[in-house]
Amino acid sequence: MQRVAVIGAGTMGRTHAEAYARMPNAELVAICDSRLGAAQQLADKYSARAFADINLLLSDVDLDLVDICTPTHTHIDYIKAAAAARKHICCEKPLTRTTGQAMEAVRICQEAGVMLFPAQVLRWFPEFRKMHDLIVSGAIGTPVVVRTSRCSAYPRGTDDWFADMKNSGGVALDMIIHDYDWLRWCFGKVKRVYARGLYESNIPLTDYALVTLRFENGVIAHVEGNWARPSGFVATVEVAGTEGLLSYSSTESVPLTVELKAKGEQKAGVTVPESPVSKSPYYLELEHLVNCLETGCKPEVSAEDGLEAVRIGEAALKSISTGQPIALA
Amino acid sequence: MAGANVVRIGIMSFAHMHAHGYASCLQKLPNVEFVGIADDDRSRAEQMANHYGVRAFDSYEQMLASDIDAVIVTSENANHRRHVAMAAQSEKHVLCEKPLATTKKDAEAIVEVVRRSKIKFMMAFPCRFHPAFKRLRETVDSGDLGKILAMKGTNQGQCPGGWFTDTKLAGGGAVIDHTVHLADLMRVLTKAEPARVYAEIDNHIFRGDFDDTGIITVEFTNKVFATIDSSWSRPKTYPFWGNVNLEVIGTEGVARMEMFAQKIDLYSDKTGRHTYEYWGDDVNLALIDSFARSIAQDSPVEITGEDGLRALEVALAAYESSKLHEPIDLLN
Repeated sequence: MQRVAVIGAGTMGRTHAEAYARMPNAELVAICDSRLGAAQQLADKYSARAFADINLLLSDVDLDLVDICTPTHTHIDYIKAAAAARKHICCEKPLTRTTGQAMEAVRICQEAGVMLFPAQVLRWFPEFRKMHDLIVSGAIGTPVVVRTSRCSAYPRGTDDWFADMKNSGGVALDMIIHDYDWLRWCFGKVKRVYARGLYESNIPLTDYALVTLRFENGVIAHVEGNWARPSGFVATVEVAGTEGLLSYSSTESVPLTVELKAKGEQKAGVTVPESPVSKSPYYLELEHLVNCLETGCKPEVSAEDGLEAVRIGEAALKSISTGQPIALA
Repeated sequence: MAGANVVRIGIMSFAHMHAHGYASCLQKLPNVEFVGIADDDRSRAEQMANHYGVRAFDSYEQMLASDIDAVIVTSENANHRRHVAMAAQSEKHVLCEKPLATTKKDAEAIVEVVRRSKIKFMMAFPCRFHPAFKRLRETVDSGDLGKILAMKGTNQGQCPGGWFTDTKLAGGGAVIDHTVHLADLMRVLTKAEPARVYAEIDNHIFRGDFDDTGIITVEFTNKVFATIDSSWSRPKTYPFWGNVNLEVIGTEGVARMEMFAQKIDLYSDKTGRHTYEYWGDDVNLALIDSFARSIAQDSPVEITGEDGLRALEVALAAYESSKLHEPIDLLN
């Protein structure tokens, strides 16, 4: 049984808390949030304890795992605190705000002898796992040119923390780090990054980036990050190889659509598309982590994977800023 | 058949497969007369002339000396310059297949030859005439999307083979073949010129001595940035030749154009294939109609040689950038 504390009671904190609460070999014992009320509310739901201060939590509660779901720029401090207390760590993506912080996090956790698990959840999305497996199996021959796209409205986190681009890294770091990690999983090391984007444009609640990655194995990938849509979420992937093409769109993978007629004051009806799966990707991801802690196995995603994804994101931001391609050593 | 406003047109070379599309349009349009065909390959000229029921000329010279008004140049890219110069000398108007040429020098020479002549010269960028693009252009011009911030385009296709993979005749592979369409559409939408180009280009699909893969980033003079995917990345089993897709990101909204989305899915046990059967407008009809009208009415052409040159410069800079691994500035 793994005793878990979730740090941050925002959207991701709630998602992770729910997953642990349902897991037979995990026990959600505490929630920590600088807004004690938010921590208390979430903790009450699962009969856990609420804290506003992580150090109090770490000294007061017997824990195996600390799961950090706070805004990106605060990750490094929580990682340091948890590692100092010799707790294993799960950390929401991006692992940290900067490559330097990510390197420090990896080193600290190594020295403390604790696991640092970056929550690159895309690897547990069944459609992305299926695509990975198809690619690796050679279904399209040798992969050559790839396109990914991840589009939504601008995220509105707690206190609108995403709006501070310096803290969130904007779409080129926060959003398409999912795709960087998935692409690395499929195609290996990135050699060169070129990107154009609105990171420094100061357009309120709008960000957009087009990133070209060149991999060491020759693959060219085009990665779109889009926080400029009025609403809705769309992810698409296309991988062209020497012997075929693989193509996915979230808008076309919808086994259920419910359409309701307008009621009362409503002028228009409501259409809700759904792509239900029996276990959510977040549950699968954290179940994997907890099982690894229980059995002592190495997780499928390493701390270094988390670091490398941040490195690509930071290179994209640097390329946007300088207009030059960035070589990754 | 021939009336006062009917424009008499011949086709110079059937090297480019678009000649077939243009030929069938010449037969359909009431304001043109499809006179005949000349080709370096005399037997191809005869075969095609038989097929379309028009005259096969013995040579380009013979066709240009006849009483035609205009020609469509659909020869290999590297021969455009020579063929346009011949037509201009004979004072025949020209509709020229894209890309304009294989080098900047040739492209500029074409623009210069046309400038010194009295002929009308139109660049064959048919995508401009698609109703979906026209609506997109109206939407952008109306300001509904706010200020344009970025664009994302793809013109991915199947590898056409033949001389398209002979870099001496084509000037390159996929990138020179496909980049120009979107570069042109983007220029029209942003009303700005390409200023900076970066590209990753390679040949890993076919491993030939021609490029088959290209992701090109273009920054325009008004700071709008865009990417163009001009890869021959549709496999042989793909249901259609390819696509022309363009997304526009504005401060007030986004727009997505999928030019060939008007299609029927056909699953055929006869062919063993799934195919897209396109039912939207034939863009070539509007292209040739526009060309014929500008001749009949002596009005300016809608797409100029300079437009062709600007689009070509993007493709040429992409090759240079990919070689040097650095962005290329176009306006210095």
